[in-house]
Amino acid sequence: MLLHQIAFYVLAAVAIASALGVISFRSAVYSMLSLIVNLMSLAFFFLMLQAIFIGTIQVLIYAGAVMVLFLFVVTMLAPDTESVGGRNPLRWQWGAGIGLGIILAGGLILAVVNGSLARDAHAVGADGLARQVALHGNVEAFGLALFHGFSFPFEITSVLLVIAVLGAVVLGRRILGREE
Amino acid sequence: MPVPVSAYLTVSAILFTIGTLGVIVRRNPLVMFMSIELMLNAVNLSFMAFAHFLNSVDGWMFIFLVLTVAAAEVVVGLAIIVSIFRSRHSINVDELNTLKG
Repeated sequence: MLLHQIAFYVLAAVAIASALGVISFRSAVYSMLSLIVNLMSLAFFFLMLQAIFIGTIQVLIYAGAVMVLFLFVVTMLAPDTESVGGRNPLRWQWGAGIGLGIILAGGLILAVVNGSLARDAHAVGADGLARQVALHGNVEAFGLALFHGFSFPFEITSVLLVIAVLGAVVLGRRILGREE
Repeated sequence: MPVPVSAYLTVSAILFTIGTLGVIVRRNPLVMFMSIELMLNAVNLSFMAFAHFLNSVDGWMFIFLVLTVAAAEVVVGLAIIVSIFRSRHSINVDELNTLKG
């Protein structure tokens, strides 16, 4: 299984490098493209963890639809966003932020490596997901869980999406008689 | 298991930290939104790692719900940013100290 490990480390390097690119590129469009690389590498992580359907919708919805919406807004506001990163009066914020970030990452990694959650992660649910996937296939296992066990959260999701669409319409309309 | 679950969780923790750093230090709200997406995806990765290693489908469901919430959040947030830009012609968060339009 050496191939699996090599793929993991390459993907981890790509994901972390592109995430650093998101927060360090000066132009928002470059950050955007870097974020798309990051989402694609996460989709490959999902494929490595044998979640084919989730990896596919990660590419389709996230790296496709949501990021295209983002890219529209970024390019629409691009002339202004170029100047935002330019002169930076609070240079020390980067130092303080990096210090706090190292503390946070160190704490999280310590909790992961030292804690019991990583050690006990093999014990529970002996034949849950793997058997379902082997029995029904990947998409069917997802659909069975979604429409049987999680049908109420699924319905709540539809309400949430309607509210989001209404909010976007209300916020995005131009008020008549109030030209800017 | 060739790659342990702690390796996936470590990558997830690093990505989450980078996202937090982006929210803290950047002052362009679009890049701050991207950093929030980064954090959501880092959590998605740990959900997926746990779903695989605990052999349970619940992690997939949570990823699906997080995807939906992230899409809704992006739609509303970008609409707010665009409407702020329309009335202010600037989206620097340091200058946005009032919510009045």
